[in-house]
Order: sequence, then structure tokens, then C-alpha cells
Amino acid sequence: MADKPQPVRLLYCAVCSLPAEYCEFGPDFEKCKPWLIKNAPEIYPNLLQEANEKEAEKVSERLQSVGISAGGADEAAQPSQPGETSSSKKEEVKRLPGGKIKKKEKLEVVIEKVVRNRRKCITVVKGLELFGIKLTDASKKLGKKFATGASVVKGPTEKDQIDVQGDIAYDVVEFITETWPEVIESSSSLVLLSYASMLHFLYSLVFSFIAQRTIKFGMTSV
Amino acid sequence: MFKKFSSEEVSAQNQVKASVQRKIRQSIADEYPGLEPVLDDLLPKKSPLIVVKCQNHLNLVVVNNVPLFFNIRDGPYMPTLRLLHQYPNIMKKLQVDRGAIKFVLAGANIMCPGLTSPGGVLDDEVEAETPVAIMAEGKQHALAIGFTKISAKDIRKINKGIGVDNMHYLNDGLWKMEHLD
Repeated sequence: MADKPQPVRLLYCAVCSLPAEYCEFGPDFEKCKPWLIKNAPEIYPNLLQEANEKEAEKVSERLQSVGISAGGADEAAQPSQPGETSSSKKEEVKRLPGGKIKKKEKLEVVIEKVVRNRRKCITVVKGLELFGIKLTDASKKLGKKFATGASVVKGPTEKDQIDVQGDIAYDVVEFITETWPEVIESSSSLVLLSYASMLHFLYSLVFSFIAQRTIKFGMTSV
Repeated sequence: MFKKFSSEEVSAQNQVKASVQRKIRQSIADEYPGLEPVLDDLLPKKSPLIVVKCQNHLNLVVVNNVPLFFNIRDGPYMPTLRLLHQYPNIMKKLQVDRGAIKFVLAGANIMCPGLTSPGGVLDDEVEAETPVAIMAEGKQHALAIGFTKISAKDIRKINKGIGVDNMHYLNDGLWKMEHLD
């Protein structure tokens, strides 16, 4: 039998808990620095130098606390920026109404997961009717397939949607594409939405206009 | 996936029965042959093996309050990073370039160009849907555990979009959960 591989012992930073070599990408590299200098100087050879330099800097700063006025010149040199941003805003505004018009023609099924009572959830399927599917039939099929309650409910925007009990967002995509082949799965990275992340929902709506006939499915944990 | 993971997401903790324990052990041994010699140390037959069920169909395998493996639905078991750091050679490795590190550590999925660029290394044997260790340019240790969406050959060929899903990365919720009680 092969020798037992020995576990590698590895140095984790006491401040940010990452392996020492990843401290520089950690949440607060500055705070780690003193620990690193003490415990792992070989990984960041620059640090020691830096620390020494800093101390030198501190001293020199105390000596000459003037030099601030030089910084003002840079800021004065960028008055053109605000103009640019306002024009880009206009473009966004233009796009939005266009998007709303498209929304009506848009063929997409939105699958949404709404969490209630922390661990219970409802999966909401919207937009099936756009494909000429009878919602009452669909809800029956969904209920049968997943052995849960499923009903047609009036959605917030006067549109009918199907509420299915339980978290089936993962499986429902396959089921929909299988039972109604006219619905094509186009985005494989599906996203679950919850009401708590309504903002995200709006964003994803806006973005989903781009592609037609999609099942969109957003995953934003609450 | 573990970005916002905390002990609040635990919905049930069970000490599993022997047959399930055997099954878990078997599937881990199949997935990571390199781990087989030490498997008895990791999952001692005598100490209880606890499976922690969490939200979103996530299971953690916990021994002595230390999470060692996780899986999703019926997917393969994947080691936690702390375990992988101890036994770095059990998984296939992919390496991302230096520019990608900070995004991966923020939980981003691994995009193909980060693997195909000069700083990245691709193991051509890696198939789609396998757990892999994500290493980084100039670093010795893994920074994330991923689940490939497309095979390494396709990553090279397509070179666009998500190549590997980021399952677990340094400083995410599971990393911070050193002990579970």
C-alpha cells in the first residue's frame, strides 16, 4: 500500500484567516501587514522594506506639512466629466421606453422563487400564456408532476401566473421544456428571484429583453 | 454559493446510519482516489459522521464538528478548502491568472479567458461537470473549488464566458465556518 500522504500544514493569517499568501487579496491587507511581517516575512519581502520606508515617510511628513496645495491643480483639470455622464443618462432613459414596448411582445417565461417563513417557498411561473399554453392545464400538470399545490393567481401586473408550492425552480425548467417543446431554454444559468430582491428582478427584466424566447431564471439569494 | 452561508441556513443535523455512512465514504473514495489512504483518519469509523442539511439542497459532511465535504443535490462530494489545503493533490487543478484572483475571491465564476491566458494552466483531461481545485498564478495553494461546466478542451476552444462554476472560495461563508456546532 502506498504511503500515507501527510497533511500539509499551512500558515493561515491570524487576522483575516486566509492562507498567508492570499492576504494581499483579503478584506483588509493593511491590517494583516503587521502580522505578516512578524510571521511570514518570506512571502512578502517587499513589506519589510515598505514598513521601513513608511516610517521614514512619517518622519519626513512631520518635517514638511506643506505640499498640499500642489494637489489642487489636478482636480481643476477635469470639468468635462459631468457633461459626459449626463449624456449617457439620456441614452439610458431613451432605452427604457423602448424596452417597455418590447415587453409586450416579449416571449419569455420567468421563474421566480419567493421565500416565505424562512424555509418554505413558492415557485412562481410567469409568462407561460405567451406561448399559448392554458394556465389552468399547466398548473394542473405542474401540481401533478411535483405533487404539490399549484394554482393560477392574478399577478401584480394584472397578469396571470402560476404559484407552485415548494422550491422546484431547479427542476421546473426541464419539465417546462419537455412538456411544451415550443418553449426553448436559452439561458442555462437560471436565476431565482425573491421579492426581497425586487430591484434585481427589475434589472433582470430589463436585461432579458435582449434575448427573445427565453426562460429567465435569476438566482439572488435573499 | 457559500457567499452568504451561515449556521442559520442549517435546517437539520443528523448522525447518519452506517449504510449511508458507507455510501458517502465509498463515493468520496471513488471521486478522490488520492484520498483513500487517509480516509480512515479523516472519517474514522468510530466517531459519528454527521450530515448537515442546509438550504438549497446542500449537504455538509461533518466529523468532530469540522465540515469536511459538501455536495449539492446528488452531485459529487467536494472537499472544503481547509481539507484541500492539507491534501492538495487529490483533485485536478486548474490555474487562473493573477488578474482573476480578486474576482474569484469575491465569488465570481471562473471565466474561460482567465484559464487560457499565459498565467493560467489548463489540464486537458478535465471533463465537464467535474470538481476541480482552482489554483492561482504565483500562489501555492488553492483559492477556490469549482465545478466545471464545460470540458477543458471546450474551454480552450470557446474561450468565452463561464468555464467553471465557483462553488467554494477563500473567505466565503463555509470557509469562515471552521467549526460547526
